[in-house]
Formats: sequence, structure tokens, C-alpha cells
Amino acid sequence: MRDELLSRGVTRRAVLGGMAGVAALSIAGRVVAAGGEAPAWAQLARDGKLPPLAERLPKKPMIVTPFEKAGTYGGTLRRGLRGSSDHNGILRMVGNQSLVRWNLEFTQVVPNLAERWEINDDASQFTFYLIEGVRWSDGHAFTADDIVFAIEDCVKNSELYSSTPAQLSVAGKAVKVEKIDDFTVKFTFAAANALYLENLATPLGQHPTLFPKHYCSQFLPKYNPNIAEEVKKAGVGSWTDLFRARCGDIEIPSRWGNPDKPTLDPWVVKEPYSGGATRVVMTRNPYFWQVDTQGNQLPYIDEINFSISQDVESLMLNVISGKIDIQERHISVLSNKPTLSQNMEKGGYRLLSLVPSASQQCQIYFNMTHKDPALRKMFADKSFRQALSLAINRQELIDIVYFGQSESYQAGPRPEHPWYHERLARQFCEYDPDRAGAMLDEAGYKMNGSGLRLRPDGQKVFFTVDVIPTLYPDLVDALELVKAHWAQIGIEMKVNTIERALYYTRGDDNAHDAAVWPGPGGLDPMLDPRDFFAFHPQGSRYAIPWSLWYTSNGARGEEPPESQKKRMKLFDDARSTADLSRRGAIMTQIFDIAADEFETVGLCLAVGGFGIIRNNLHNVPEKQPDSWSWPNPGPALPQQFSFTS
Amino acid sequence: MLIFIAKRLLWMVPSLFAVSFLAFVLIQLPPGDYVTTYIATLAASNEVIDQNTAAQLRERFGLDEPMLVQYFKWIWGILSRGDFGISFEWQQPVSGLIWERMALTLVLALSTLIATWAIALPIGVFSAVRKYSIGDYFFTAFTFLGLAIPSFLLALVLMYIAAVEFGQDVGGLFSSEFETAPWSIAKVLDLLSHIWLPVIILAVSSTASLIRVMRANMLDELPKPYVTTARAKGLSEFRLLVKYPLRIALNPFISTIAWLLPNLISGSVVVAIVLNLPTAAPLLLQALMAQDMYLAGAFVLLICALTLIGSLISDILLALVDPRIRLE
Repeated sequence: MRDELLSRGVTRRAVLGGMAGVAALSIAGRVVAAGGEAPAWAQLARDGKLPPLAERLPKKPMIVTPFEKAGTYGGTLRRGLRGSSDHNGILRMVGNQSLVRWNLEFTQVVPNLAERWEINDDASQFTFYLIEGVRWSDGHAFTADDIVFAIEDCVKNSELYSSTPAQLSVAGKAVKVEKIDDFTVKFTFAAANALYLENLATPLGQHPTLFPKHYCSQFLPKYNPNIAEEVKKAGVGSWTDLFRARCGDIEIPSRWGNPDKPTLDPWVVKEPYSGGATRVVMTRNPYFWQVDTQGNQLPYIDEINFSISQDVESLMLNVISGKIDIQERHISVLSNKPTLSQNMEKGGYRLLSLVPSASQQCQIYFNMTHKDPALRKMFADKSFRQALSLAINRQELIDIVYFGQSESYQAGPRPEHPWYHERLARQFCEYDPDRAGAMLDEAGYKMNGSGLRLRPDGQKVFFTVDVIPTLYPDLVDALELVKAHWAQIGIEMKVNTIERALYYTRGDDNAHDAAVWPGPGGLDPMLDPRDFFAFHPQGSRYAIPWSLWYTSNGARGEEPPESQKKRMKLFDDARSTADLSRRGAIMTQIFDIAADEFETVGLCLAVGGFGIIRNNLHNVPEKQPDSWSWPNPGPALPQQFSFTS
Repeated sequence: MLIFIAKRLLWMVPSLFAVSFLAFVLIQLPPGDYVTTYIATLAASNEVIDQNTAAQLRERFGLDEPMLVQYFKWIWGILSRGDFGISFEWQQPVSGLIWERMALTLVLALSTLIATWAIALPIGVFSAVRKYSIGDYFFTAFTFLGLAIPSFLLALVLMYIAAVEFGQDVGGLFSSEFETAPWSIAKVLDLLSHIWLPVIILAVSSTASLIRVMRANMLDELPKPYVTTARAKGLSEFRLLVKYPLRIALNPFISTIAWLLPNLISGSVVVAIVLNLPTAAPLLLQALMAQDMYLAGAFVLLICALTLIGSLISDILLALVDPRIRLE
């Protein structure tokens, strides 16, 4: 099974086809004999300090099939976080308990807290049937009320969320959530939202299961008239601050800063993630609602210990001296691979390989909506961009910067994806400086006596490319090579290494000439199509004003040209099409137009990362997707990871 | 003397105001603000925040107000109720975040000071008294090495040797069982068993320069007539050295006490990050990077306050130790 994983192009299509079904198979249906539990809990239950296992588990608990074999209880799993804003490092390991989740292959949405669901014909109504008898980590029952509370009272509260998160609103209107009975909830959208299940399986889909009503309602003025006193006592500015500090949100550090907040996760906070913390400890949730095939309550592992390293090198040192049990985050850059391979025996670990979900390692975005009319005209000239693409010696770049582990690529779904688009991915990838020069001559960018090209207005062709060296050091190396390649055809470029906040500010102000970023959409083209049309107001850096126009329904930004508007319309159609093959056909139209327009220039296919697993840690898939939408290793179900002594 | 101290204390008030204002301006100077950084982090994980939401976030954090208003609100909170504001990043009152880190920073700074002096003083005196001896050359060579090796590199090398060759637990100031335990004798002992490594690393470079300073000062003092007189009067060589030239040669040591703390915090950032020390430096750096301005501002303010106190202490000590200095 392990070897087949993710290498199944053909089956993948079949699986994707099955994804649009009305109801998914119910894993929770099978009843297993009452199984075991962790020895410590068993003792507490015998002493009467904890209800017996049968009362803590749902009647029909979700059964998880262990990846290799049923595990044994015990052990502390050690993993590293980096610095103080690495809260998503915890989310990826622990916080994956949404209504639905991804399967291991990242191809299908499978039941999680909802054991099944129904979708109406136009994909605007979703009815979820919850597993009955699931409990929060404090023993309180988890019901439809919690979900209604989380959406209607919290997420739709305009003081708490100034605008409803994108996932939960369609056509500018927020979703409506109703309780049908204790274990059934209905989500109604203003219009079709065919992608909702997939979105729900990503981390940003966790809102419905994030806020326990019995606990979090005490921080809302609606439920607690004395909230003002509590705010004062806590020394914070307002009730919204207090709510965030106690109940957190999907992606903020304080989600892991309050040991009192009940959760549905396999492990709960014991030593919180706060500003002064040097480590975070999570301990087994006595009420966790999943069991293995023998009925043993998960998780197998007692505790998770996240040590906080400020520095990647000291994290690497911990890895090679065997002090980390599983790690890929922060250490997965190619340049670390030799060190990690050499020390496998000493550190007692094996390597784990990551399948990138991204499409492009380094996408170059020329600002086609530049404030300077001359530069705008130059970047908007398709043959200019094509010529620059042809002038890049991609093979040299791949060999030098990426150790030969990539291939030339432009944009679009990865080759193993069923929607792979040959022309979008491969056009203008060949190295042909002569043809590039000829194209530039024809477009009016003639070479002068000293080997530099001039714009039609007589100015030298010169522009800067923004890059963040602290975030993506490899992109700086890649750009330095591109700079040399372009110099050969008379184009002068400056690699503008800037700080992260400045990079974004320049983007927000539309003040950049060009910028680079890894291009997403390789395995998840629907979730982030920023390179196929102006979709993302921070990410589609070739035309941020156009994407603002799109996301604000024309209220802000700048009206895009016809071909963009057509793709925006098509994407809206695709988003509301439940049928996967029809959706694929619509996306192909978008790819066709994107290939015609050639807006971004890509360098090479995103390279896979890797990580380590200690030899005594089992049930870990050794090949995993690497994605924020599939927040590895979470969907590989760490609750069934297990140690042998 | 008391009048001098009172005057100096009074002067500290306007200095602190000036310094805190400058710190606040400096933290605000880089482009963008906390919301920009926050959006950047979200965008890196594909979440879209529209500019409306960003504006509302700015309003919530009070970032849309003019800087002067923000500054006075902050300083008024500190003066009136000791409230240093909220850390944007942690959604936690700043005062809860800084005290333990500042305390550990002070412990580290003082231990490093003591270690530096304990090594530098005797060696400095020795190489001055035994000028151009083999010992002098040995220590001179050694100190140049110490100066030349960057402390973060030394930290990495020592950590590598300790972790890979000896399987030692490196990094941090506590063993894992004491990390969150309340303070006790056992925890203090545990701290002592961990603190020596960062202390050595941090002491190495400053020791080197102090040895040179000490040696030069002693060489200035040794040929002076009062030394010859004392020796002629039959004073033992050791008493003679300690009683007169050493006291005078100590002057640069004492007058640099004030700089020591800011130097240790800024100079130890990289070491603290590499060694994972729970001191102020890494948290300050992160706060600056995230533009978490109340947290960063509180650190800068405290460091400045400690510098001012440090310079007062060094002035008082100088007056006591150096017979040439009088307050009139």
C-alpha cells in the first residue's frame, strides 16, 4: 500500500470521480467489541475519577484502520516548533478534527465528525449527520448546538469577525446554519458552493467544530451579561480580545494557549503555547472519539512534546542526535538532505518523502498593472514575457539550485493530476536566446551599441524583482541565475531582496515591478487558482488591482480585460458545479485561456521535500502530500502513530 | 553623595521619556504594521483577507490612530496602572510575558559579568606583571582567538560536540522536568548546571578584550613612582599590586557596567537563538519582526531603564574605588 500511495495517476481520476457523490461511505457504521484504553485511564476509571471507557466513547465510535498494524499505548512524541509564531506547526499535528477530512491520497473527502452528509442538487444545501455521543475533552456532549453556536453566534458575529470567512460566504452572503435535531445540522448557502466539502476538509474549514458552546458562550455578551467584569479582570481591552485569548481561532497562537478550552482533538493542551514558552506539551484526550479496528481507544501515544527552537540549525542538531521523533516542517529544504541522510544511523531515523502540492517552485509575476505607463505597457506585452521565458536556461538552474531534482515547468496542475494541461505547463520552456532576441527586436525593444535593450521611449529596459530571502533563500539563488541569463539578451534586472512585510506592502500598494513566489495549484488547482487568473488579492502579483476588482465584485481595484473576466466567470461556474467531470471541463477552458495569455513565467516544477521518522515510530505513511490544504502530517492521523520500545 | 544620587534619579525621568518615545518611533518606522505582517502570514497559507477586514483589524488594535496618540495611550497605561498593553501576536498582556524573561536575562548577564571578570582580572594582571613571558604570549594568543571566533559559531560547535559526541541535552536553561516547574532549590541547581555553557560562550569574547584593557592599564601604572615607593617601603608584591595599581586599573571595568546589559541583550541575540535560551533577546527579536510594538516597546523601555540604573551604579562605584574621582 505504501508504495502505491500517490503514484496512481489512473486510479486517482477514478477516485476523484467518486468524490462528488451524494453521500460517502460511513466508517462509523461498524460496531466493534469494547476494546482497550490507555493503562493510566483504565486506572483512573477503576478509581472512579473518570467515567468508564464505554461512557466516554460514542455508541458507534469512528473506526480508524491503523496504517501498518494496531499499536500499543504509551510514549511521548517529540517534535520541534520554530520560534514564537509557529502555531500552525501544532495545528498540523493535532488540530485536524473538522466535520470531514481528506483521505491519505488527498483525493477524496471522507467522514470525520460528520459520519455522512447529503447535498442538494444545486450544491447550495449541505446536511451533516454527526456521530452520536462524541464528547468534548471535558466530557461535555458535542451536538448540533455547538455547530450552530460556532457559526451563528461566533463566526457571523460582526464584532468578532469583521467579515465572514471566505469559505462560509457565497455571493457576499454568509451561510445559514440550522439545527434539524441534536445530531443533524443543515448549512444553507445563498448560491451553489460545490467546493464546500473540499474546503471543509482544509484547516480553514475548522470553524464549525472549533467553539464548544458550553465553554465559549461565557465570553459572548449575548450569553454573559457580566462580560465587562471578566474583561476587566483579565486585563484585556474588550470582550473580543478576551474571546480570542480564551477560545482562539483557527490560525492564531492563542488557540493553543488555554488548557481550559475543551477540544475534539486527540491531544489537549497541558503546557500552553504562550509568549514565554520554550516548549508546548499536549496530553491524551480521555474522551477522544476514535478507536482502532480492535476497538482500542486512540490515540496510542500519551503525550506530544513540541520543543521550541529559535534556530533551524539547533533543530537539525536535535534531529540528527535522535531527539525528535517525526519532523519535516522547517528542515525539509534540499540542502539539508545530505546531512540528514548521513546521520540516519546515528539519529536512529528513516526518511519520509513529501509530495509537493504546489505547481511551481518559482513563479515570476511581472506587474501588468504597473503604475508607470511605460513599464505597464512593457510587462503587458505578451511577446516580451514570452521572450524573457525563452531566455532562461532552466536546465542550468535546476542543476545548480535544485540539485537536478526538478523539470522545466510554467504553471498549472502537476503532471500526475487528471487536469494536467500540457500547453500551459510546458510552452516557452526551451532555452532559445536567439529567438528571444528576435522577438524582442520585433516588439520594439532594440539593442543599443553597449549590448543593452532600450524601450521604444529610449529608456534602458530595467526592472526589479522582489524576493524575500529569509523565507525562500533558494529563490534568490534562482533569480541570480535568471539575471545572468537575461543580461545575455540585453535585459537588466535587479534582484530586490526585501523584508517580508515590505514585500507585502509593496504588493498592496501595487508598487512592485515584478515579484516571485512559489506557484500553488499543483494538486489543488481549485483551491488556489491564482496563477490561472487574477484570483488572489495578495497572491496574483501580476495584476493585484484586477483581483481586487474580482473579490470586491467590482467595487474596488481596476476592471480587468475581457479574457480575465471570462475566466472569472468560468471559475464561478466551476465553483458551483457539483459534477466533477463537468467541473474539469470548465477548468480546462480556463487553462486554455491562461495558456493563450501567458501572464506568468515559471521556472521549474515544485520540488518535493522530505522529513524524518524515528525507527521506533510506526504507522506513519512514508510518503505524504505536502500542503497547507492537506496539513501534513495531520490527515495521516497521528492518533494512530505508535511506538515500539 | 546623596544629593548627587537624588539629582541623577530625577534626571532619569525625562531621559526615560525621551528614550521610550524614540523606541516607539523606531519600532513604527519599518513599512507596514502588525496587521500587514499578520496578513502576510495568513496569505502564505492561502487565506485571503480583504482590505476592509484589514482596516477593521487596524481599528481594533488602535493602529489607525496617529502615532503620538498611540504613544501617549501606551505610556499613560504604564504610568497609571502599570499596564504595558497587549501583545498583538499573543493576545496576552505584555507584562505577563516580559518579567520572567527579563529576570533570566539579568541572571545570565550577571553570571557572565562575574565569569568575565574572574577570568580577565587575574590574567590581565599576570600578563602585565610578567610582560613578554611565555605565559603572557600564551594568553595573548588565546585571547586573540577568543576575539576572532564569532560566539554563535562557538555555540554551534560546542552544541554539536555535546549533542553528537556525548549525547548531552543542549540548549535551553533548564532540563525538561524543570522547565515549567515553580522555583525551588532543585530548579536553581538545574539552572546552574545549564547556564555555564552560554556563560562561557558569551564570556569568551568580552574576556579577550578586557584582558587587553587590564594589561595595558596595569602597564601604565606599574612604572609610576608610587609603586616604586610602596615597594621601597617593603610592601609584599601581592599586597602592593592589589592595593594601588589594580584599583586604578579597574576603572574601565566599572565604568562599563552600564553598557553591559544592553550589550548582553543585543550581543547575545544570535547566541540566545542558537542555544534556545529563554531570555529576552529572542522574544524581542520576534516582536520586532512581527511589529508587535507594545511587546517590543516594553522590552526596549526596560533595557533602557536598566542601562540608566547601571550607569548610576557604575558612577557610585567609581567614586568609591578610584581615589582620583571626586563628586565635587
